[in-house]
Amino acid sequence: MPEEQNQTIMAVDELQAIIQRCQILEEADFKGEDFNLFQVAGQKCLEDGYAAQLLEVIQNEKNKLIIKNMGWNLICPLVRCILMYKQEDDKREHCLKILHQLAQLCNPKELFLGLLEQIEQTSAEQVCQTVMLLLQPLQTVLLKLQNKKAYSVGLSLAMIMNQLTPLPVPYTKQQIQEDKLGLCQCCNAVVDFAKPFVNEVVKNMEKSSEYNDMELKEELLKFCMKSLKYPLLTAQLEQFEGIEEHPFRHFAIEIINILWDIRELIPLVFLHRKGKSPHWENQEFADIERKNSTDSLACLSYLMFVQHFGIDCFPMVFSPSYLLQCNMTHIEVLLKRTEESLLSKGLDLFESCLLRMEDNSLLHQYLEFRDFINVPQDLVKVMTLCPIEHLRKKSLNILQLFIDKFDAEGKYTLFRCLLKTSNHAGVEGYIIKNIKDQIHLSLTKACDNVWFTGHHLISLLDLVLLLPEGAETDLLQNSDRIMASLNLLRYLVIKDSESDNQTGVWTTLAKIEQNFLKPLHVGLNMSKAHYEAEIKNKKENRREAHSSNTICSVTVSGEKMPAMTTEMQLQVLHSALFTFDLIESVLARVEELIEVKIKAVMDENS
Amino acid sequence: MTTDEATKSEGEVQAAAALAERGEDITPARDRGVLKIIKRPGSEDESPMIGDKVYVHYKGKLANGKKFDSSRDRNEPFVFSLGKGQVIKAWDIGVATMKKGEICYLLCKPEYAYGSAGSAPKIPSNATLFFEVELLDFKGEDLFEDGGIIRRIKRKGEGYSNPNEGATVEIHLEGFCGGTRFDCKDVKFVVGEGEDHDIPIGIDKALEKMQRGEHCILYLGPRYGFGEAGKPKYGIQANAELVYEVTLKSFEKAKESWEMDTKEKLEQAAIVKEKGTMYFKEGKYLQAVIQYGKIVSWLEMEYGLSEKESKASDSFLLAAFLNLAMCYLKLREYAKAVECCDKALGLDQDNEKGLYRRGEARLLMNEFELAKCDFQKVLEVNPQNKAAKSQISVCQKKTKEHNERDRRIYANMFTKFAERDAKGQGYFET
Repeated sequence: MPEEQNQTIMAVDELQAIIQRCQILEEADFKGEDFNLFQVAGQKCLEDGYAAQLLEVIQNEKNKLIIKNMGWNLICPLVRCILMYKQEDDKREHCLKILHQLAQLCNPKELFLGLLEQIEQTSAEQVCQTVMLLLQPLQTVLLKLQNKKAYSVGLSLAMIMNQLTPLPVPYTKQQIQEDKLGLCQCCNAVVDFAKPFVNEVVKNMEKSSEYNDMELKEELLKFCMKSLKYPLLTAQLEQFEGIEEHPFRHFAIEIINILWDIRELIPLVFLHRKGKSPHWENQEFADIERKNSTDSLACLSYLMFVQHFGIDCFPMVFSPSYLLQCNMTHIEVLLKRTEESLLSKGLDLFESCLLRMEDNSLLHQYLEFRDFINVPQDLVKVMTLCPIEHLRKKSLNILQLFIDKFDAEGKYTLFRCLLKTSNHAGVEGYIIKNIKDQIHLSLTKACDNVWFTGHHLISLLDLVLLLPEGAETDLLQNSDRIMASLNLLRYLVIKDSESDNQTGVWTTLAKIEQNFLKPLHVGLNMSKAHYEAEIKNKKENRREAHSSNTICSVTVSGEKMPAMTTEMQLQVLHSALFTFDLIESVLARVEELIEVKIKAVMDENS
Repeated sequence: MTTDEATKSEGEVQAAAALAERGEDITPARDRGVLKIIKRPGSEDESPMIGDKVYVHYKGKLANGKKFDSSRDRNEPFVFSLGKGQVIKAWDIGVATMKKGEICYLLCKPEYAYGSAGSAPKIPSNATLFFEVELLDFKGEDLFEDGGIIRRIKRKGEGYSNPNEGATVEIHLEGFCGGTRFDCKDVKFVVGEGEDHDIPIGIDKALEKMQRGEHCILYLGPRYGFGEAGKPKYGIQANAELVYEVTLKSFEKAKESWEMDTKEKLEQAAIVKEKGTMYFKEGKYLQAVIQYGKIVSWLEMEYGLSEKESKASDSFLLAAFLNLAMCYLKLREYAKAVECCDKALGLDQDNEKGLYRRGEARLLMNEFELAKCDFQKVLEVNPQNKAAKSQISVCQKKTKEHNERDRRIYANMFTKFAERDAKGQGYFET
C-alpha cells in the first residue's frame, strides 16, 4: 500500500515537474520530449485515480499554453477511464470536466484528430458510448476550426456512421426499448450534433441564392443518405403501442428535416430520375454513387409515402399514376432483397402507391416501363419463395391490387407476361382465375371490352388451355393450373352459346381439344396407372419396408423432417389419386357440356 | 391573421364561389369538371404546348378553405411536363389554356383530381380542389436531356403507346435547314433504319417518344442530324442544325424481347445482323449500333436454351459484341468499345478481333501498357498478325514519348525547385 501510494504521488510529482519546466518556455520551444513526458505523467495520474489533481493542473490559468499544445494527448486515457468508472463515481465526474476543459483549451486541429482517433479505435460494444461521450467536445472543436471545416464535419460524420454500421439494428419493440448497445440513443445524439452545421448552411443559403460554398451542404447530404441506408432502411418504423417516442421514427423525422432545411428533399424524391448533375468527372464513380444511393432513396420514399414524414413539403398536384411510376424503381430495389424489414417496406410502399389510384385507371402503356413488368415478377417471387408467411400473403394481395388498377389492355398484357414468366402452377392458376373474372365482366357488362372477347381472348386462351409439356406434364405439380383452366373452359361453354360465340371459344374448340383435353386424358390415364401401381407396390412391400432405408432427407426452414413412414407415403399417393379423380370429373363435365351444346346446334340446323 | 391576409383569404373564398357560378368550363367533355376564371391576363399571347416544361407558382385549397399545398411556401416554382399525365387531369387541362404570365383560379371536381381514392394524408376522398395558378414560363421538351432534340407538340397523339425500336412507322415529314425546306414526303420505314430514306437518326429517336397521330416540331442538333458528313443530296453542310415537322400517321410495334421465343429471336438475329453490317459498310455507325444492339437485348439474358440454340446464340452475341466494339471505335466512344470487347472475350477469351479491338480502344484512351498486353495476346493467338506487331511498336513509342514528356515536366519542376532553394525559398523544411 505505501509503495503504491508512493508511486501515485510520483505520478503527480512527475506531472508537476514537467509542468513547471514548461511553464517558463515559449510555445515554440516545447520539445518532442516534453510532449512525451506530459503524456506519460498525465496518463499515470488518470490511471492511478488522480483525476482531481489533473483537473486542477488543467484549470490553472498558468498552464494554459501547455494544455493548448499538449492536452490532446490525454484524450485516449481519459476516454478509457470514463468508460471504466461507474456513473455515480466522483472520479468520472472529474474526468468529464477534464474532457470539457480540453475541448475549450486545446488546439482545435490536434484535438479534432485525437477525438476522431478515439472513435476509430473503439470496440463494437463501446462504440455508442464512446461516440456519445465525444460528440459534445467534437462539436465544440469543429465550431472552432478555421480551415477545412466542411471537410472535417464530413469526416467526423462519416467516421461515426461507419463505426455504427456494423451494429445490429434493434427490430422488435423489446429490443428497441432495451437498446442494448445504445444505438437508438446514439443516432439521435448524432443528429443533434449535426444541427449547428445545418443551421449554418441554412443561414448561408438565405444570404444569397447563389451560395457557392456547397461543401458543407454536400457533407450533410452524404450523412443523410448514409443514415437512410443505415440504420433506417433496416429499422422497424411502424408505430409501437406503448412507446411514445419511437427512437427511429424520431431519427427519421430529423433526417428528413435536415434534407428539407438544406433544400435537397424535393430534388431527391422527385428529380433524381432526371439524372442529377454529375459531380464526378469519372463515369464509374458516378455509377457507384448512384448504386449506393438507390437504397437510401428507396428508404426516403418509404418514409414519405408510407410514414408520411415530410409529406407536407411534397407537391400535392402529381397524378397517382405518376407517383407510382416514380416509386417503381424503389419498389423494385426493395423487393429484390430478402430481409424482412426491406421486403415489408417495399410491399408497404407499393401498396400505398396503389391505394392512391382508382381501379382501372392505370394505362397499359405504363407496362412499357421496364419496372412495371419486373416488379410483378419480383412480387411473384416473394409470393412463392419468401419464407415469411405474412409477406407472402401480403404480396398476393398487392398483386391483385396491381392487376385491378390497370385498364383492360394492361390487365391483358400483364396476364400474358405473368403466365409466361411465373413458372409456378399456383400463380398460373391464380392468373387464370383472374382471366375468368375479366371475361365475366366483359360478358355481363354492357361496355364493350375487346380485350377479353374475340380474337384477343383467343390468343390469350392459347396460353391457358394447354398442357405445358403435353401428356407428359406432371399433373400433380400442375394441378392448380389445370383445375383453373378447366373451370375457365367450363365457364366459357356454359356462358357463351355457340350461336353468339362472343368469346370465340367455339371457333377454337378443335385446337383446345388437341392441345389440352386430349393430352389431359392421356396424362390422367398414365398418371393414375402409375400411382395405382405404386400403391400396390407399397402395400406388397409393406412388411419388408420396415428396414426403411431412406434415400434422401428433406429439410424445411432448417429443420430436418422425419423420414416418411410407409403409411404416410400411402396417404400421399392416395391423395394424388384423389386429385386426378377431381380433375377427371371436371374434365368429364366440360366435355359433356360441349357435347350437349354442339348437339343442340346440330339438331337446330337439321 | 393580418387584415391583408384576411381580405386576401376572403377574396379567395369569393373566387371559389364565383368560379362555381360563372367559371368557364374548360373540359373537352364539357362536364364542368374544371372551371376557370382568369385573375390576371398573361403578358404574352403564347400558350405552352403539350410536352413543354412549364414553371408555375400555385396554391391549393380544399373546399373547406384549408390550404393543402403551396409552391410559394417552398420558395421555388413547381416544374412539370404539360399534358403527360404527371399531374392531376385538371392541371394538364387547365395549365394548357394559360398564357405566359397569367394568373388564374381553377375549381376541380374529384374526377379531375384525386377521385374517390383521395391522396393520403392530405386529400380526402371525393374532394373538390381549388387552385390559384401563375404560369411563370415554359419551354420545349428536351427529349434526351442533352439539348440535342427539342420537341414541341402541335397536336397530341392518341393513346400513350409509342413505336419502339424496330417498329414500322408511317409518317409525313418536312425538313428545314436555315429556313429552307429541303425535304417533304410521306414515308414508311422501320424505326432505327430511317437512314435508308435519308432521314437522320434524331427522327428515329424522337419517333420512339411519339404517339399515333402526333404532329410535332423537332429541333435537331448536328449530332442527331446529318452530323459531320452533312447531306450533299439536300445540299446540307457539315454540322447543320435542322428543323423537322413530323406527323406520325400510324405504326406497328416490334415485339418486346419477352414476347418472342428463342426460335424467333434467333431468326430475327440473323436478319438484323445482316442489316447492321450493311449500315456499317456505309459508315452509318449509329444505325449499325441499333441493329447489333437488338441482338444483345434479345439474346444476352436468354436462359434455358438447348445446346444447339445456345451455340447459335453465342455466335450471334460474339459477332454483335465485336461489331459493336468496331462501331464504338469509329464513333470515338472508346470506353464503350472496351466494354463490348470485354463481353466478346467473355464468350471467347482468345478471340483475335476482340483482343485487337480492345487494344485499339485502349491505345486511343492512352492506356498504352494495357493496349500492349492486348496486342501481345493477339500475337499469342495468331503470330502472323502483322497489324498487331506494328501496334505494339506504336504502344512502345507512345509510352516512350509519354515518359519523356513527363520527364521534361518534372525536370522543369526540379530546376525551378533548385532555383527557389538557391534563393532561399525552399519548399521543404529540413
